[in-house]
Amino acid sequence: MRIPILKLYNCLLVSIQWELDDQTALQFQEDLLHKIHETNASGVVIDLTSIDFIDSFIAKVLGDVISMSKLMGAKVMITGIQPAVAITLIELGISLNDVYTALDLEKGLEKLQQELGE
Amino acid sequence: MNKTIDNYIQTQREEILKKWIEKMKGKSDERVLKVVSDQVFISTSREFMDLIISNLKDSNEKYNERLHEFAEKIVKLAWPLSFVTEGIHVFSRIVFEGMKADNIITEENHLDAFYSLDHWIIPMTTEIVNIYSTTWERTVSLQKIALQELSAPLIPVFDGVSVMPLIGAIDTERAKQIMENLLNGVVKNRSEVVLIDITGVPVVDTMVAHHIIQAADAVRLVGAKCMLVGIRPEIAQTIVNLGINLNQFTTKNTLKKGMEAALEIMKKKIITVEETE
Amino acid sequence: MENQSCVLIQTEWDIVAARQLGRNVAKEVGFGTVDQARITTAISELARNIYIYAGEGQVCIEKIIKNGQAGLRIVAVDKGPGIPDIRLAMEDGYSTSGGLGAGLPGVKRLMDDFEIDSSLGSGTEIKASKWIR
Repeated sequence: MRIPILKLYNCLLVSIQWELDDQTALQFQEDLLHKIHETNASGVVIDLTSIDFIDSFIAKVLGDVISMSKLMGAKVMITGIQPAVAITLIELGISLNDVYTALDLEKGLEKLQQELGE
Repeated sequence: MNKTIDNYIQTQREEILKKWIEKMKGKSDERVLKVVSDQVFISTSREFMDLIISNLKDSNEKYNERLHEFAEKIVKLAWPLSFVTEGIHVFSRIVFEGMKADNIITEENHLDAFYSLDHWIIPMTTEIVNIYSTTWERTVSLQKIALQELSAPLIPVFDGVSVMPLIGAIDTERAKQIMENLLNGVVKNRSEVVLIDITGVPVVDTMVAHHIIQAADAVRLVGAKCMLVGIRPEIAQTIVNLGINLNQFTTKNTLKKGMEAALEIMKKKIITVEETE
Repeated sequence: MENQSCVLIQTEWDIVAARQLGRNVAKEVGFGTVDQARITTAISELARNIYIYAGEGQVCIEKIIKNGQAGLRIVAVDKGPGIPDIRLAMEDGYSTSGGLGAGLPGVKRLMDDFEIDSSLGSGTEIKASKWIR
């Protein structure tokens, strides 16, 4: 199963709707980078509202994809991280520094536009 | 043998009681004397005596019931447990020695007598200890619930701005509770800025600071900003002396200043409305 | 034991199966959403360790009761190479696989009790439990 990546103006929009297994996560990393290259997007919003846990592997894939996108000139905004997920991440010792976050997709898009506008 | 002991206690009742009270007064420390008036002490001792006689006389069922009642009563009187168990032992010693002095217990039967005495002393002690500990357990669990209810609420103040005042000492258990409340509240109220007010936290050590930093980090992950307010001089000193790094998030000394900063982030301002007559 | 169910870890997909099982049991025992996430994550970490380092092993989830308190225990067993230096493996940031190094100390923080037993050449057994608050 592949995670769909949508284009919205100069941004890419990803909503992860089901539990990520390792393969899907790696596939997503690849797909997103290709899409950034293809569309020349300057921002990415990844919505995690439906994700109810993130382990260190998925966190690493996410962290990597954020750094890689940055290298390609796209800012990544993560939205909708659930309280339970945030708590487990912190307790695991993963703080995902240098990540833009927002409460939900709407706020995320807003914030991203501000960041890009500056 | 039981019968002999029973007889002895019944006939020597007042004598034993007198000796017993005397001995126990010598044993009791100030703590006991403070909570126990002479009158209560004597009447309770008398009741205890009746109870022992009931043990020897009544049916098991009735005795157990009385024992239970008695134990609950002394728990209510707040007698220290050590004092009560001591009392039972002293009592059996008085009976034993008294019977020996009267030559009821002799060389031949003293083992038998000893066992008989033991036989009713032990279940009595067990029951009393049991009732004490269940009462304590109940108190502890009630206090735990009460403490949980005390745990920090998140208060929405303006659109997008919430405050969480922390009061009292913070341990690991409570820190987890606070973090959950904080994050769930942030998401529920859609807060963009949260002010954690530590005015009411008496001591900020490495552990507390660590928990606060974790909470702030988690708040960032869900997409909001965390500000630490209410930092008193002594807390600023400990934080720096302990080498705790709070550089990554905004801190203010008062909630008022924090609120101003929060409004600035939200691009809002409080202005005075000019009165028009 | 009827209160125990196990998942064999042989492929990456088994990691998903193990955490699914863990989440269901955690729900049954009555854990809240945050604790469910903690348990699921811990299982994921342990199952992945087995997959990466030992290649094959087993993760069991048990419902437990102690002193009237309900809880859940994860038992992760493998017959892999073992951990050469447990103390080092329990240090934050230590990793031999190029991961985030959050693994074992992270699991310890997520759970209430943590026990590890490993000997070189004969495998590793990790037990971690969480209690309902």
